[in-house]
Parts: sequence; C-alpha cells; structure tokens
Amino acid sequence: MRVVIAEDLFLLREGLASLLKEHGFEIAGAVADGPSLLRALIDLKPDVAIVDVRLPPTQTDEGLRAALEARRQVPGLPILVLSAHVEQLYARELLADQAGGVGYLLKDRVFTDEQFTDALRTVARGGTVMDPEVVAKLLARHSRHMPGTRLTEREREVLALMAEGRSNSAIAQRLFVSEKAVTKHGTSIFAKLGLPPSEDDNRRVLAVLAYLNA
Amino acid sequence: MADAGRADHHGGMTRLLRRFGVLDWGALLPVVLLVCMVYWGVRPWTWTVVIVAGVIALLAPALAADLLPVALIGLACVAFGLIGRNSVMPQGSGTTRGYPLHALIFGDGLPHVVDLSMGLVLLAFGVLLVPRTIGAHSALTKRNSELVSRVRRLTATRVEAVDTAAAELRRVERDLHDGAQARLVALGMSLCATERLIRTNPDAAVALVVDARENSARALAELRALVRGINPPVLAERGLGDAIRALALDCPVATTADIDLPGRLSAPVEAAAYFAVAEALTNVAKHAGARSVHIRAARASGRLRIEVLRIEVSDDGMGGADPAGGTGLRGIERRLGTFDGILAISSPPGGPTIVVIEVPCALSSPKTSSC
Repeated sequence: MRVVIAEDLFLLREGLASLLKEHGFEIAGAVADGPSLLRALIDLKPDVAIVDVRLPPTQTDEGLRAALEARRQVPGLPILVLSAHVEQLYARELLADQAGGVGYLLKDRVFTDEQFTDALRTVARGGTVMDPEVVAKLLARHSRHMPGTRLTEREREVLALMAEGRSNSAIAQRLFVSEKAVTKHGTSIFAKLGLPPSEDDNRRVLAVLAYLNA
Repeated sequence: MADAGRADHHGGMTRLLRRFGVLDWGALLPVVLLVCMVYWGVRPWTWTVVIVAGVIALLAPALAADLLPVALIGLACVAFGLIGRNSVMPQGSGTTRGYPLHALIFGDGLPHVVDLSMGLVLLAFGVLLVPRTIGAHSALTKRNSELVSRVRRLTATRVEAVDTAAAELRRVERDLHDGAQARLVALGMSLCATERLIRTNPDAAVALVVDARENSARALAELRALVRGINPPVLAERGLGDAIRALALDCPVATTADIDLPGRLSAPVEAAAYFAVAEALTNVAKHAGARSVHIRAARASGRLRIEVLRIEVSDDGMGGADPAGGTGLRGIERRLGTFDGILAISSPPGGPTIVVIEVPCALSSPKTSSC
C-alpha cells in the first residue's frame, strides 16, 4: 500500500515512515509543506495519505486545505488527517463531501500502532475514521439537544465506536461482547435515531456522523 | 471638565475662577490684557503693565499649552503700543505726551484724529480677539484634560495588562511544572526501570512500557489543554471568524453563528475577542439554562466613528446575569480594556441575556498591530 506523508517536523516524519514500513506500507513520498503536498497527492495518487493540518509556509491549516483541494480534484482520494488538536469544525469540512475515505485523528493515536495502521487501512478502503475526542464532543452536544432520544449506556458506547469508524467485529472485541450483540445494538440505535438501517460499515459511519453533525 | 492635574498648581484661585465659569488663569489673561489696552489709551505707564502681564503670562509654566493665544495677545499689545507711539511721536503739538486718548480728554493740543481712530480700531480688534482667545484657550485646556484622562486610563490598563500577563506566565509555568514536566520525569523513570527488567522480567517490563505510553499520552493531553488556553490553534490557523464558529460547535447549548469578518484583525485583538466569546458561552452553558444561543460578529462603526469589531452573544435563558458576580467576566473586561474594548451586558430577570463586546479594529499603537 503506497502512502504519502506530509509532516513538517523531521522527527515525526521519519518516525511515521519507519512505523509504516514496519507494518508493510510503502512510502511513496514524504513532503514537508502545503504546495508540495498538493503536487504529491495529485501526481502520485497514493492509496492513502497522512497529512498534518499545520504545515509551512504559512504554518496555518495549509495541510488541511491541500487535502480538501486534492479531494476536490480527485474525489474520494483517501486521506487521514493528523493533528495536535482536533476541531469539530475541521471534521465537518472533511466529512462534507460524504465521499468517505477520510480520517481525522489526534497525533497521539500513533502511540498504539496497531490501531493506527488499522485506521489507515480503513481510510484507504474508503472508510471513515473519526477521533474519539471528536465523537465525544458530538455525542455530548447531541445528548443536550435531543433529550428525547433515549439510548442506553451500552448503545451510547456502541454509537461512539461506530462514529469513530470501527467495524462490528472491532466494536465487539472492544466491548467484550459477541458480534451478534453489536449488530442488535446497531439496529436498535438506528431505529431510535430514525436512520435507515445499513449493512455497509462505511455508509453506517457516514449516516451516524451526519446525524450527530446536524 | 477641567483637568485636576493643573488644579494643584493653581489652588484656590483656579477654583474661584471655575466657579465663575472661567477655566483658569489662561482664560483670564485676555481679559486682563484688554483692560490694560483700554487703560493704556489713557495713561502712558500702563504700557509697562501690559509688558509685565505678557511676560508673566509667557513664563507661567501652567500656561505652556496656551502659548498660541498668549502669543497672539502679546503681538496685538506690541502692535498697539508701537502704532500708538509712532503715530504720535513724530509731530506731536508740543504739550501732548504722545497718547491719543490722553490728548483728546485733556485737550492739550489738537486731537489727533488719525491716532484716535487707529486706537479705536485696535480696541475693537481687542474686543473681537478676546472671545476668540478665550475659545482657543478652552479648546486647548479641554484637549489637555482629555489627554490627561487618556494617559490615566492607559496607565491603568497597562498596569492591568502587565499584571495579567505575569499571572498568565505563572499559571503556564505552574501547569508545565506540575503537568507535562512531571509526566516526562515519570516517563524517564519507567523507561529506566524497563531497561533493567527487560531481560529478567519481561512481563513487568511490558507493564512499565504501557505505563510510560499512558503517561506520554496524558502529557500530550495536558499540553493540548494548555495551548488552547494560551493561543487556541484554530484561532492561529483560521482567524477569529472560524474560531468563533468552532466555539459555537463546541458549545453544549445549540449555538448559531452569524459572522461577517473578512480579513484578519491583529492577533492580540483576535485573541481578546475570542476569549471574551468563549467566556460568554461558558457562562451561558453553566448558568443561563438557555436552549439556544446566537452569536453575531461583524465590523461596525463605534464611538467617534472608529471602526470596531462588534460581537453580540444572546441567549434565551433565564437572565439575571450579574457582571460584577463573576471573576471571569471581570478578567475579560480587563483584557478588552487593554485594547480600548468594552463589554456590556443586558440581562433582565427572565431573560433574554445579551452580551456585547466592542473592540477597535486597529490598535492605537502601530508597533503592536503587526504581530
């Protein structure tokens, strides 16, 4: 799997590259600023790109803007955005095209390399991965707004993991329950929220996020 | 409003003058000089009085700001004296002492019609001049008092800004010391122990590594929170408009934002406005019991037609917010004050609550606005 890395800090860039090589990824390119990132994304068309939000030359949201622009030119180009902080505002912008193949994670998440590479593969497959911190904020806001939708504690846990972009089997593993139980919770959640049921993991994540983001 | 700073120099007399509606010595001066000019037409020695009065006026330190009207009066006096004297001196009729009014009243020699009319013209000029110089004087005095109160306000806000910045630095230092620094120490110790145990007791070593990883994650989370409190990343990356949108999204109460802020303002103004909105939203979430909040932000024309950034945060909560009650709002007011900004709250019991923030778009000092 060919990966482009955009990160301006040398230590992190090299660290990410060696972590990914260890897990069998191929580094198609490693860039350190916004303009060269956009060029690399368009020219190299990697299977997935890891993009830091803040990049030179402006040290603002250069990376995010390059990612959004690249996805405008190449719809669905899989991009996993990494940042030192997560903002719902940015999450919204990344999710806006509803095309999938998007991830948005805190840089800390690379600490657990298995989860991180899983997330990267999910994004490369066209899936959607959201940082638990974004999802927690979405859920907190949502529960204040819609006190009528009564989800059980377990259903909330499942919903949060769904919104993070995890598959039923990953959720089952995480919550120490059977996959069948997760499917049952999922059906119940979708019924309570009035969402059309969906077997496809990716459609499901987008539906949940769109619902929470509304 | 006359300036209190000067009153110290003048004491009782100034107070007396003020009671009669005259501002101070400077305003009295043209009157004194007019009297002298009239009298000088009659009695020759008054010329000396005029000179002396002029010199005293020029030397009086408190009148330094009034040099212009004083100089005008002085010039008028000198001109009057010279013309009067010159016109009489060349061909006086022997007994006249060279002063037109004197000659007319006391009848020694023919009245010098030209001299007399010249004197009257100059007197008329003096009468014309007095209200104007008094006007010019009070304008200068007013400007002075405005400057004095401005300096006083700047001194106060500067002290507050320095205190706030120092307190902020102390807080950052303390947070780093108790947070990230301590966690990095723990991390180093875990790694050291791991090094020792890795061969003899691999299970314990793995547990320590897990521990170390958790510590580093917590250190990162703490640093993130700290950075958010100093310079929120979204503000640095996107500017005030999007930073307010991000605040609206993060607010647990349903918040809509109507923002019209093209371009960037200076960074300190943006930060002060951002934290003001953040505090207002925190208060709504904590105390107002509101169901919805609306934020409006745009440039507007403020006091003295200066372009201001105007932000309105209104909620449909229970109202009764007391700006004096919370330290948070007081801190925001102080911070805005540094930029001549203001914060106003309308919150009748039963609501709605409206918080208005106004900050001049451009800083008064160009040196600080480029950062």
